[in-house]
Amino acid sequence: MPEDRAIETHDLSKKYGDRLAVDRLNLTVASKQVHGFLGPNGAGKSTTIKMMVGLLRPTTGSLSILGQGVSGDNPRVRRKIGYMPELPRFPKHLSGEELLDVYGRMYGMSKTERQGRITELIKMVGLEGRGKDRIGKYSKGMQQRIGIAQALISDPELVILDEPSIGLDPVGMVEVRNMVKDIVKSGTTVFFSSHLLAEVQQVCDHVTVIHLGVMRYSGTLEDISSKVMARRRIVIELEKPVDGVLAALKTMKFATVEANMNTYTLHLDTREDVRAEVSRAVTSAGGVIVKMQEEGGGLEDAFLSLVGKEGMA
Amino acid sequence: MAQKKRAGTLAAFIALLYYEFLWNIRKKKIITIFIIIFAIATVQLAFTPIADAIANPPQALQANSTFVFAGIEALTGIFLFLVGVATTMNTVSGEFESGTIVPLLTKPVSKTLVFAAKIVASVITLLAAYSFLVGYIAIGGTLIYGPQDNLNLVPLGILGLTIGSMVWASVALTLGTLSKNSVLAALGSFGFYIGLLIGGTLIAAQLGASTVLFYAPGMGATGTTAACAGLERGGGQTFSTGTDGLASMLMRWVLNPGQVLNFCGFQFRASGNPTTTLLASDTFANVAFRDLWVSLVYVAGLLLLSWFAFRRSQIVES
Ligand SMILES: Nc1ncnc2c1ncn2[C@@H]1O[C@H](COP(=O)(O)OP(=O)(O)OP(=O)(O)O)[C@@H](O)[C@H]1O
Ligand SMILES: [Mg+2]
Repeated sequence: MPEDRAIETHDLSKKYGDRLAVDRLNLTVASKQVHGFLGPNGAGKSTTIKMMVGLLRPTTGSLSILGQGVSGDNPRVRRKIGYMPELPRFPKHLSGEELLDVYGRMYGMSKTERQGRITELIKMVGLEGRGKDRIGKYSKGMQQRIGIAQALISDPELVILDEPSIGLDPVGMVEVRNMVKDIVKSGTTVFFSSHLLAEVQQVCDHVTVIHLGVMRYSGTLEDISSKVMARRRIVIELEKPVDGVLAALKTMKFATVEANMNTYTLHLDTREDVRAEVSRAVTSAGGVIVKMQEEGGGLEDAFLSLVGKEGMA
Repeated sequence: MAQKKRAGTLAAFIALLYYEFLWNIRKKKIITIFIIIFAIATVQLAFTPIADAIANPPQALQANSTFVFAGIEALTGIFLFLVGVATTMNTVSGEFESGTIVPLLTKPVSKTLVFAAKIVASVITLLAAYSFLVGYIAIGGTLIYGPQDNLNLVPLGILGLTIGSMVWASVALTLGTLSKNSVLAALGSFGFYIGLLIGGTLIAAQLGASTVLFYAPGMGATGTTAACAGLERGGGQTFSTGTDGLASMLMRWVLNPGQVLNFCGFQFRASGNPTTTLLASDTFANVAFRDLWVSLVYVAGLLLLSWFAFRRSQIVES
């Protein structure tokens, strides 16, 4: 397997009883990049991630992480991974610093290594002054922050974050984005899941979109608009309704038409610019165009077309 | 390379032990167990002096050189059960219930190592608890009741209490691992204990010291130093020889290895008294040895089962 791949899955599937949560996923995450894993609630993001970190066994298929096959309990692979669970829960009787310390011990870090790293991380996640408080007394967002810190304790090669910004305030979300940017600068690969397009858009080089367990897109953000059929629409407003116009528009193969009084909406099924063609058709059918505009086609619409309207926030 | 790996595993194991103790100390689990033990031992120590003092007329306290030995033998099954179950009922299931299993198992430690550390921590906790208990009784007993006999056997008593308690601790651990629920683990263990107690009592009442009871956890078969034929006339000493009586058996093994214990069965007849027959007889040495391996087989078997269940488990908790 090539060195430059941090994560690779092959036809990875997971069933919970009869429910297929992840369906033959073939995912490749290049190293030293921020890779976003985007999908609506229930898409199968956490399930996929749990298979990566060894909490769940794949039903079928396989995956390899940092060049090593992950089958069953594989502590050697986990040594190089930092993982932050979705809504993490830690022993609540320990303080934040104690938690980082005891996890650091499990990675075989020396006392001095741990001390240096803990100070650094507590500061980085904005918990200065609260490191000695018990985790049970932390707010939700603070628990999320200590969750990020513990994922980074061993300075791992690959960081997997499952919805790191859930429960954070807007400032916290910006901070997390900046943390992710900082982490990747040091040569670490970051794979993180989110259901927020805006978040992924701001930090990721690559993005994989998953919906109902099926991968819908994987590639760079720039490529997405050319590869994905966005939900472009042309909306035409006529001076007054004209009988022949609807029939004329309906003959166009690249669009489906909806009419409402003197407004016609064409849902496009093509990436071409068809405005000229449309206006000619309307005019020759006797329509007088008052207004004509194209809508959609942005990143947001591209994602909506991937996962359906109900999907993305 | 192999050596480096072994050193890494050892460091991880020590880290896990540290985690386990830090967690249990903070949860005040260990201190709770110690306080309960302290209270029970205090009652045991103070009972006679108080009874003597409030008797009418007040009695002078008699010296009693067997107080410590008898005190260890008097720690009955329910006590070993409670301490054992309290130690392990949430050892594995508590991690599932609190969700802390997720961050733990995604650290570079194998499930087997996590499990092993939990077992070792439980054994250390029990050993410490019983050392504290027996030490307290030995010192208190000497101060109150005068010089004590056979204090050299005290370490064996501690070992026996620990292993006997581990039988119940293993039951609770296994049920907790299978159910991932601490309350179910505790209730299930209690049901198991009561079931064995009732079953054992019924068997003993119907058949006497049936040899089946040699291999059951709990109170086991009752042995006597008297002859079976003379049982109803009394005389002789009787002993519970099950896993709960391991401490007593181990100490007597050293004290009096050749002493023969008789296990008597009953036969009911249509009329008249049941006759007692000799089912088996064995020396203390043999009885104690059998008791030891029966206990160890239960502990090993149950732990193997829960290790297997733990290793197989998928973590669906988020
Ligand atoms: N423990 C479980 N038992 C049964 N089904 C489950 C379990 N966990 C998840 N599922 C199902 O698997 C599917 C994928 O869930 P998953 O948690 O992976 O989604 P997700 O993308 O992480 O969603 P979210 O954004 O809400 O976290 C869902 O249909 C969910 O109902
Ligand atoms: Mg999720």
